[in-house]
Amino acid sequence: MRVPYGWLGELVEGLPPLQETADLLAGLGLGVETTQHLPGAPVGVRVVSVLAVAPVAGALQRVEIDDGERRITVACAAPNVRVGMRAAHAPPGTRLPGFDGALEVREVGGVRSEGMLCSPRELGLFEHAAGLLALGDDAAVGADLAELWPADDVIELELTPNRADAFSVLGVARDLAAKLDTVLRHPAAGLEAAAGDPSIADGLEVRVADPERCPRFSLRRVDGVRVGPSPVWLQRRLALLGLRPRNVVVDVTNLVTFELGQPSHAYDLEALEGGVLEVRRAAPGERLITLNEDELTLDPEDLVIATPDPEGGSRAIGLAGVIGGRDDSVRDATTSVAVEVASFEPIGVRRTGKRHKLVTDARIRFERGVDPALPLSANARVTTLLAALAGGRPHPGVRWVAAAAPAAPAIGFRPSQVGFLVDVAVPADEQRRYLERLGCAVEVAAPDRWRVTPPTWRADLELEVDLIEEVARLHGYEHIGSTHPHLAFVPPATDPTHRRLRERLVGAGMVEAIGYVFTSEDDLARARAPAARVRLSEPQGIERAVLRTSLLPGLLAAARLNRDASRLALFEVGHVFLDHEEERLGLLWRGHGASSGWRPPQAHDVYAAKGALESLAEGLGADLTLRPAAFDDLHPGVSAEILWQGTPVGRFGRLHPEVAAAWGCGDVVVAELRLPLEARPPRLHELPRQPYAERDLAVVLPVDVTYAELQARCAAAAGPRLVELFAFDVYQGPQVEAGHKSVALRFRFRHPDRALTDAEVDADMAAIMAALRGAGYAWRT
Amino acid sequence: MNDDTLHAIATAPDLRELQALRVRLLGKKGELTEGLKSLGALPPDERRARGAALHERKRAVEAALEARRAALERAELDARLAAERLDLTLPGERVPAGAHHLLTQVTNRLLDVFASLGYEVVVGPELEDDRHNFGALNFPPDHPARDTQDTFWTTDGRLLRTHTSPMQVRYMESHEPPFRVVVPGRVFRNEAVDATHEAQFHQLEALVVGERITMADLKGAITEMATALLGSGTRTRLLPTYFPFVEPGAEFAIWWQHPKTGREEWLELGGCGMVHPRVFEAVGYEGVTGFAFGFGIERLAMVSYQVSDIRDLFRGDLRLLEQFRGVA
Repeated sequence: MRVPYGWLGELVEGLPPLQETADLLAGLGLGVETTQHLPGAPVGVRVVSVLAVAPVAGALQRVEIDDGERRITVACAAPNVRVGMRAAHAPPGTRLPGFDGALEVREVGGVRSEGMLCSPRELGLFEHAAGLLALGDDAAVGADLAELWPADDVIELELTPNRADAFSVLGVARDLAAKLDTVLRHPAAGLEAAAGDPSIADGLEVRVADPERCPRFSLRRVDGVRVGPSPVWLQRRLALLGLRPRNVVVDVTNLVTFELGQPSHAYDLEALEGGVLEVRRAAPGERLITLNEDELTLDPEDLVIATPDPEGGSRAIGLAGVIGGRDDSVRDATTSVAVEVASFEPIGVRRTGKRHKLVTDARIRFERGVDPALPLSANARVTTLLAALAGGRPHPGVRWVAAAAPAAPAIGFRPSQVGFLVDVAVPADEQRRYLERLGCAVEVAAPDRWRVTPPTWRADLELEVDLIEEVARLHGYEHIGSTHPHLAFVPPATDPTHRRLRERLVGAGMVEAIGYVFTSEDDLARARAPAARVRLSEPQGIERAVLRTSLLPGLLAAARLNRDASRLALFEVGHVFLDHEEERLGLLWRGHGASSGWRPPQAHDVYAAKGALESLAEGLGADLTLRPAAFDDLHPGVSAEILWQGTPVGRFGRLHPEVAAAWGCGDVVVAELRLPLEARPPRLHELPRQPYAERDLAVVLPVDVTYAELQARCAAAAGPRLVELFAFDVYQGPQVEAGHKSVALRFRFRHPDRALTDAEVDADMAAIMAALRGAGYAWRT
Repeated sequence: MNDDTLHAIATAPDLRELQALRVRLLGKKGELTEGLKSLGALPPDERRARGAALHERKRAVEAALEARRAALERAELDARLAAERLDLTLPGERVPAGAHHLLTQVTNRLLDVFASLGYEVVVGPELEDDRHNFGALNFPPDHPARDTQDTFWTTDGRLLRTHTSPMQVRYMESHEPPFRVVVPGRVFRNEAVDATHEAQFHQLEALVVGERITMADLKGAITEMATALLGSGTRTRLLPTYFPFVEPGAEFAIWWQHPKTGREEWLELGGCGMVHPRVFEAVGYEGVTGFAFGFGIERLAMVSYQVSDIRDLFRGDLRLLEQFRGVA
């Protein structure tokens, strides 16, 4: 919310300089976003009256004006120029913001124009360029506008939703006055007498059909209103608030919204059929055109302001607490208005506002909660201003429909708790003064047992802890020290963010990526990942409509993005969303392995990638095996299930060429594993004291028999003395029979306690060879 | 036997020739060996004179052979060393160093700090329910406070957590005080995406609960963290603000030197406060107090490393990722 500094100064006696005030506000929890200096009207601009208007060509008009000293001719194309109006004239020599240099006498369409009549934007006052700045009679002809419209500073506050009371200049002033312990000048003080008498009939009638949603409603008649431009001070005040002045009636209601925090609305009395105003739920499908020209279809949950229609029905003329209707607004010809000032229940207003996507100054205040004590005095404030500024005559009567206001419950408060919780020493009597300065009524039942009744405007104060914060806030958080508690707590040594895993991968030359959890059905399908299980109800576009079911689409997208990189080794640790949310590790390799650039690089093929996984497992003390298996997204001949400590945890292989083509990501090897990957606690084995005996054997077997099968067969046949077995050559070619391959195996045998004899090793080898022969394999000699 | 022999030795072209000379002169049937053998047949006087001369001659030959051998071996080594010369200014053969993601590095740095302060690291789900994300954290239904956290709802009525605070509830529901925990994690807001706003980002949140934890303890913890990050003498500032799940609530800032501008200023980092009694009520705690504080990782990472567009962090662009090599 924007708070003009000058206005604040009118309400708070002895307001400190701007920056100090901004710091005080921040210290009170009224977060200051910026302070802004807004210039006043440019020097030299004068108030003039329009004497004559003659059309020239198109929109262009020759306008005769009086600047209090002489008659001047200017060219003007503004649609709102009227004989008799007061406007702002920039004579030759004036420098206007956004214009280079000084104004000169110019010929415009054959009119010799001495300077120009200005729009608010041309004057740099507020954002409106569609017409001239229209001034009221208060602006004397010939007056220097810069004197009437001086510069000011505006403090822009970022208010938290709990501080409903601070959505007004009064509320901000109140907090400052409490902090400064100074006098607050309430703008509606002493207006009780002007509030109107509910027992006096005024020809108006208010029917509240839903008192829960509308607990208080006041309607005040004001006759004899002259609708015209507001006085300069009021226009300026609204401009500083960031609002565009309209006419004096609308401007006064807007002013009071920001001044007191109580929204109000003025109806053209002629729009109220029989002077009757109803507060009811909308009929299903009922329509309303708002002030902003939005046509709404209403919901029966919406609360509307309505008036009977001539056919005996009822038509909505406003959305209660949110926005008024277009057709019942005050217009230039309006002379009698009915001023509505009401309380609307916050949740209803919020739901209606959300339903119709309307964020208005009224909604913002009602959904946070407006001071229930305000409606009558705010109504008096509006009508008093209309009397003073628009010549209105408020009716002595007022319509006032109100359920009994629920009494604010007192809060039990122990001043000792401020020290207990916040650890600042604030004497009890000082605490009491703080609370009273904030408007609380304090009743001391016992030294450490107070009953504190918050003021009507602080519905956010409900618990003792809320009052503790109020005391701490007024005392100042800067008085809180820094201490360190002693806790009997020793954290367990866990690694829930998989730091060891990540460090191993990075150490192996892999680069970590973090992708989006959002993806599209298309990308999942293109990656042949499982279909989405979790969909967003209001996604940011179709590309981000569902949650990922695999980490691979994100890595494939990264591979495509990095298509020029000759080597790619990426990983990501992240969540995927299937029937359950689970954490995974995704890996992607492409291109060569170690290289120098000037020698042929090492191949970075599937076996290099598998080796990286094996190293990872070895480093974490786990067993890793690959079991050939088919997966939709992988090359059917180069894909396997990953067994970690014997348990399936994911898949590994070369990306299916069709998927690779669909992504344009190149020929990549990928893996995806469920986390956590259990590590085996290390256990020391006794060091072997005996050398091993080694034998080699080149086995010839059909190509489709896997190495794992061969290995298993050998191991099963060999017995306990075989301690190591590995392939040191695999050959396929003219030296072996077609459809066969030769796998050269090296066997290592050892006895734990003694050297083996050749005969023993030969016996083991014989057993192995017998088993291989039994399987139909041969060997090369 | 004459000086020609010594000359031949001195000019033997290689070790093989030299060996042949050695055999010819000193082998079993070598000239000198034969000469020495034939001494026995000479008369004593002649034998003595001839013997002395032959031994002299043998020593000279042996010395010449040894000298030539050493010279030849040195020449051979020099030749080998010259042949083995390599240009070590050529690039080495290597796997480029890997890299932790910048956000992981910043998170790890923070987790190290919290580990040293005795915090347990816990993590939780990203897909949450209303109760854990809002209800138990004292966000009533239809409260405007919910508007401050634009939420991604799923079609089945769940939501992507808008903050890491649901883990406060989850942890307290399954553990007893006292404790110190820190929760890193990914969070989501349905806000317009631009250079400084992403729909997903990361937070880190600390929660400490015990018999009497005070707001001064909160300030102490934030100051400790800031000191560990930025060095001693770091100042911290609390300003009142509102989060439904703490009361009193505050935003905290640390005094630092902006790495780009070099200006000393307050870096507004995050929110904090004393755990709200309604949160304790929701998890069934009684007779304890606690504090919580949390902040965004991206913001800290971006200002620290001068990343200008948050979206760059999630694109997987190697040219960016590789800039953050090094051990986290």
